[in-house]
Amino acid sequence: MAENTTASRSAYTADGVEILFFNIGESSYGIEIKYVQEIINIEQITVVPKIPDYIKGVINIRGKVVPIISVRNRFGMEEIPYDDRTCIIVLQFDDGDQVGIIVDRVQEVLIAKPGDISKAPDSKNVNANRYIKSIIEIEGDIKLLLDCDKLITD
Amino acid sequence: MADMYVFETTSLLEQLDQILMKTENESSFAEEDINEIFRTMHTIKGSSAMMGLENMSKLAHAIEDMFYIIREDHPVITSMETLYDIIFSASDLLKAEIENLQEDEYTPTDFTEQMNKIEDFAAVLKGAPPASGEAAAPAEAAPAAPAAPAAEPAGAAAPAPAAAPAQPVSASGLTTVKVFFEDDCKMENLRALLVINRISESCAELEYIPEDIENNGDTAQTIIKDGFLVKFRPAHGASTESIMETIRTTANVKNCEVIERGSEAAAGDPSGNVTTVRVHFDDDCKMENLRALLVVNNVRDVCEDVTFEPADIEDNADTSKIIVDEGFVVRFKSDKPQMVLQVIEGTPSVKSYVVEEAPAPAAPAAAPAAAPAPAAAPAAAPAPAAAPEKKAEAPKPAAKKAEAPKPAAESAPAAGAAKGGVKQSLISVNLNKLDVLLDLVGEIVITEAMVTSNPDLKGLRLDNFQKSARQLRKLNSELQDAVMSMRMVPISGAFNKMTRIVRDMKVKLGKDVELIFEGEETEVDKSIIDQLNDPLMHMVRNSMDHGIEENVEDRIAAGKSPKGKITLSAYNASGEVIIVIADDGQGIDPEKVLAKAERNGILTKPASEYSEKEILNMIMLPGFSTNEQVTEYSGRGVGMDVVKKNIEKIGGSVSVDSKFGQGSSFIIKIPLSLSIVDGMEISVGSSIFTIPINSIRQSFKVQPNQLVKDTTGKEMIMVYGECYPLIRLYQLYDLKPNTEDVFDGIVILVETDGKSACIFADELIGEQQVVLKPFPALLGNYNIKQYGMSGCSILGDGSITIIIDVSNIISDF
Repeated sequence: MAENTTASRSAYTADGVEILFFNIGESSYGIEIKYVQEIINIEQITVVPKIPDYIKGVINIRGKVVPIISVRNRFGMEEIPYDDRTCIIVLQFDDGDQVGIIVDRVQEVLIAKPGDISKAPDSKNVNANRYIKSIIEIEGDIKLLLDCDKLITD
Repeated sequence: MADMYVFETTSLLEQLDQILMKTENESSFAEEDINEIFRTMHTIKGSSAMMGLENMSKLAHAIEDMFYIIREDHPVITSMETLYDIIFSASDLLKAEIENLQEDEYTPTDFTEQMNKIEDFAAVLKGAPPASGEAAAPAEAAPAAPAAPAAEPAGAAAPAPAAAPAQPVSASGLTTVKVFFEDDCKMENLRALLVINRISESCAELEYIPEDIENNGDTAQTIIKDGFLVKFRPAHGASTESIMETIRTTANVKNCEVIERGSEAAAGDPSGNVTTVRVHFDDDCKMENLRALLVVNNVRDVCEDVTFEPADIEDNADTSKIIVDEGFVVRFKSDKPQMVLQVIEGTPSVKSYVVEEAPAPAAPAAAPAAAPAPAAAPAAAPAPAAAPEKKAEAPKPAAKKAEAPKPAAESAPAAGAAKGGVKQSLISVNLNKLDVLLDLVGEIVITEAMVTSNPDLKGLRLDNFQKSARQLRKLNSELQDAVMSMRMVPISGAFNKMTRIVRDMKVKLGKDVELIFEGEETEVDKSIIDQLNDPLMHMVRNSMDHGIEENVEDRIAAGKSPKGKITLSAYNASGEVIIVIADDGQGIDPEKVLAKAERNGILTKPASEYSEKEILNMIMLPGFSTNEQVTEYSGRGVGMDVVKKNIEKIGGSVSVDSKFGQGSSFIIKIPLSLSIVDGMEISVGSSIFTIPINSIRQSFKVQPNQLVKDTTGKEMIMVYGECYPLIRLYQLYDLKPNTEDVFDGIVILVETDGKSACIFADELIGEQQVVLKPFPALLGNYNIKQYGMSGCSILGDGSITIIIDVSNIISDF
């Protein structure tokens, strides 16, 4: 059975993208799984002075100093106190850099087939839209795929 | 492999530069210098060819050829300058090519132009009349002619002692050697070329088969199958043996055997190198055939190709009679016949043995005796040659010990042993590996603190644990020191590069300057040295260009020696290395600097308020250059500020000192090592900061009478009669402190670069060694270093501390 699952999964991923979905408030956003290194509980963040607000500081992940970004702040949303469902998704980029993003709640991993994905509207008015890579229609829901590179560098 | 090549070639080129600088200073080429240059180019040529870098190989070859002419013909070099220019620029080209090689996309540079220059010059050299009458042979004949007279006796002596007096000696007088390479080493033809390259300088005559190894890759197969045949005659000063040794020590050579034509016929063995021994056993020992078998087995343990007579000793008991009557004949092939003989001698019941035919190596072994004394050669040659012959011909069956072959046979292994006795005590290690090691040591230091100050242990009385923990700490700090010391290299490498720059500029600017080193043996972390080259170069250029006076008359008028002086000195002082670049030139004119700064609009307060020191340090501000004219070397206005930035990047600082009219000096202070910092931890609210101990003067609680306010409300603290500005860390960093009351918290007096200030924090936590980690790239974008944060570190409990760079904090106050 287990073998079967892996086999079917890889069959899916051959022509689809695995996406991790999480919640900010009521909206659901996704990031490609290839960026996701791990998901950890929120912990004490060391404040670093003189950096923009959206970078909350740094944490220690197994001896590495990793900066933490608040997605809420990045989207221009009001920040809420962390609770036991608040998570840090640790992203790893191609150049080896790690960055953690704080999200309200982690949902699930789904596979989006190419047909499910459509280009994001070209709107620059809404703050959050700047970080949207594409729109995904999956299992009847509309979800937003985030552009990880823009999220951290812009 | 490529790494090794880059490393080796770079160091060879540096060596080359040094020799050239030296000889240029002495304005004469010593014999050994020429040889050294020759060898260096030779090695570069060989290894470049092996790496498939044809252009570099050819360029190196051209230089080698030129030095060949210089070495052999001793031509009168009419234009030393041209010669040096040619070699220096070739060396630069090679260096640049090595740099290129390390790029991702490498395209070989075309060196044809430079090679033409070299060849043209070589042609001029050839045309020049030879210095000594004896070597008057035209250059074309040079390869053989100069060496031949000296080599002749050696060549004659070499074949003479060959173990077969009946056979005519090899007609050409050449020693023939067959070389085999390690299995699967690939590119055998190029490896063979390497062999040829290595021995060619010590051979008067050299032939090899196959001949077209350089251009024909198919020869590799031939070499694998039949071996690589080398025929040579040693040049004056070299011996067959030393050449053999060179061949053996060449990379990937599996073995090489001498095939002297004479001995080949005598032994009746196509491969030669065979020793024939007749063994007699103790009288009445019985079963001689089995005892003989024992001898054979023992001999087989130490060498190959053992044959014996009678052949059927194992099955035929009657052979024992033959053995008793005639002795037992063993033939074996070995590089160390002496060892085999000892084995035979050590076999039970062996009464005596006689060496009937000495191996071929005995011949070359005898040769060097004659070779070094060419004058005595005709007389001396027969003597060593005769020795093996006589003994071989006149065996003494009764002798328990066959002393005959010893003198000849022993000398070969002895020479080998002498070489092997010098143990290689240096290894080159990839710097990345050392970095990893250093990182690991850093982690261990952190983890040690994590264990020993674990919160679980609080309040427990653990005498034994504490004892072990102390031991661990001691070992860790020793480990740290050891790793650090591995990374330390003397600064002389960086200094030596400057000689070259001074030399080039001397020529171009027409200034006579001498460069003096002091304390170049001072050691600095390798990664720091690497970062130091560019700043040093900038500053030396500055000194050459701006520092030293344009006209010698000006120097003389100022009462200075006409020859300018630039001094590079380095020394250790309190955990830092201080490097001073001083010149005795015209110095910096503060008024000119100030005027220029005013023009460029970099002044932040009225011109009259600047102290001289401040003015001097202005030259390191971005976009400042006092020289009105941009020259090839300096004056682009990006000089000193880049220097400053680069030095600061490695945690150092630069300052300027100058007396107008008398010279100026630039003082660089750099930390001994980058990564492990002794720090004092302080807390502000929930944040923990670490201040490096070496910038702390003291920490104290402020008394009400120490606090002073100036007219603008700026707070100052009075310590020992001096006022220092008070920096409230929570204000600087917009943090929420536990206390804002100066009398409640703690004040730390810090000092760096002669500037001091008081830092106010909540409390002192304690002293700890921390490992400096750079901020993640994301944070690096926000220039937080400017606010005095140089990096971060992970503490024993896993929390993160920010390391404060005091100099940046102070500079804002």
